[in-house]
Amino acid sequence: MSKATTEEATDLSRTVLCVDDEQRIDDVSTAIDGEGTLAAVEATTVEDATELLQAESVVCVVTSYDLPDGTGMDVIEAVREHAPQVPSVLFTDRPPQEIDTASFEETIVEYLNRDLPDAHDRLGFVTNDVIEHSAQVGFLRPDDEEERLATLAEYDIDELPIDESFERLTDLIASHFDAGVAFIGLIEKDEENFLACHGADLDSLTREDTICTHSMLQEDVMVIEDIADDNRFNKNEQLENLGIVSYAGANMTAPNGQVIGQVCLIDFEKRSYDAVERAELQDFAETAMEILDLRKSLRDARGEEVAR
Amino acid sequence: MSLATDGFAVDSLSLGPIDSGTSILLTGEDADTLQTVFSQLVAADDDERSIVLSTGSGGRAVQRDLNNARTGAGNRASVLTCEGPASGEDVQSVDDISDLTRLGMDFSTLVASAQQHSDRFRSGIMLCSTIAGEVDDTRSLYRFLNSNFLTELRRGDGIGVCALDTSADIGADMSSTISGLQTSFSAHIEVEKTGPGQATLTVDGLDGDETVDVDL
Repeated sequence: MSKATTEEATDLSRTVLCVDDEQRIDDVSTAIDGEGTLAAVEATTVEDATELLQAESVVCVVTSYDLPDGTGMDVIEAVREHAPQVPSVLFTDRPPQEIDTASFEETIVEYLNRDLPDAHDRLGFVTNDVIEHSAQVGFLRPDDEEERLATLAEYDIDELPIDESFERLTDLIASHFDAGVAFIGLIEKDEENFLACHGADLDSLTREDTICTHSMLQEDVMVIEDIADDNRFNKNEQLENLGIVSYAGANMTAPNGQVIGQVCLIDFEKRSYDAVERAELQDFAETAMEILDLRKSLRDARGEEVAR
Repeated sequence: MSLATDGFAVDSLSLGPIDSGTSILLTGEDADTLQTVFSQLVAADDDERSIVLSTGSGGRAVQRDLNNARTGAGNRASVLTCEGPASGEDVQSVDDISDLTRLGMDFSTLVASAQQHSDRFRSGIMLCSTIAGEVDDTRSLYRFLNSNFLTELRRGDGIGVCALDTSADIGADMSSTISGLQTSFSAHIEVEKTGPGQATLTVDGLDGDETVDVDL
């Protein structure tokens, strides 16, 4: 069985999938609907939940552990498969030691004990919190991430005709370093968007699958000579599928000090970069940032003219 | 639910009170010195609770270390240990350190239980570098830190300390990993052993940057 419990469920941006058995599902969805900003859709089996995950866009999943055709961990596994960015809350009266985690050893979930006196009140708060703070992402965010995203938003790329300039620049960078791939990417909240790329067909990647989300946290140029030797990247299927072996990335830093993107080289063989090459890559990143800033200044000036 | 309250005192390290919500990355290459500084930071005051995830010491040893740091602090601590057996309500054991799913649930449960005794808590992971060396995919560790350790600090009235032994093999470039972690934590304390029972702390992000020489 699955159904939308309120009219607000049509607002997909805040839809929460609630999974529990027939007897208890109403308690869970009532707690979620009670939050006002959230709307519950219900499923009472693992199978229904999996179908709903593929059919609907949800922002969070709240699941019980004991279900008629499996467990809440099966639901969470389906979330990881079909909607990996969606956070999950395991809402159960089972203590952790009774939950079979053997097949799910690196699946992180918010655990909320249903036996706590204020459990149902906490459920709404916790669900809102994991959504608002993207609390289960697999990458580190700068402590001032909101300020960084606000800075990035000032560079509205759709309004700035930048593609041709950046494509010429990535062609030059690849040629200069004799690298397989050179790209310029902006790092958004959940993904990296590639503005130009020489040598590969990259559009966007989920942020936790990118090396750039690590590189942007370093002041200097980050070099990975062989990603097979680095536990941060050597289990990353996306990188493996792209055939990436080595990486070098330099920060694009806005005038206020916030890092909004990266200029990067990737290659399909092991590779090191000496100090001169690293400095040159940083120079290219600063050039890319200057191009963006000049376009932004031009757009701002035109806006002011129109306003007059 | 996050509340702004008085800071958490750490007089023994000559540091001012630490604001609620502060996450501290503690790094150093001498494990014993690191352990001592960790205990001083995490030992609970009378109206607080400690929640410690220990990868290398048994529960009773952790409680003794906390007692040495602050009188009676061991009795105000809940320990999740990867070494040795469970004991009573306050020491629970972890069978598999790489089972971050279970580790996260156990840690959340301990924090929730501690908050039944007191709203104020000090949480700590000693050593995060051991977990990093054990997990298959570092992204899981970052999910664990985001979903459990840092989230509890955002929601509750507490401070958190995550210790990293920089001499450990974590299967990744240590310097680059620390650079990344530093940006996600609100403060960084680098511990350098300078002699028997002596250390220099290089502090960044706690009411001004400073270098402090301490007797441990």
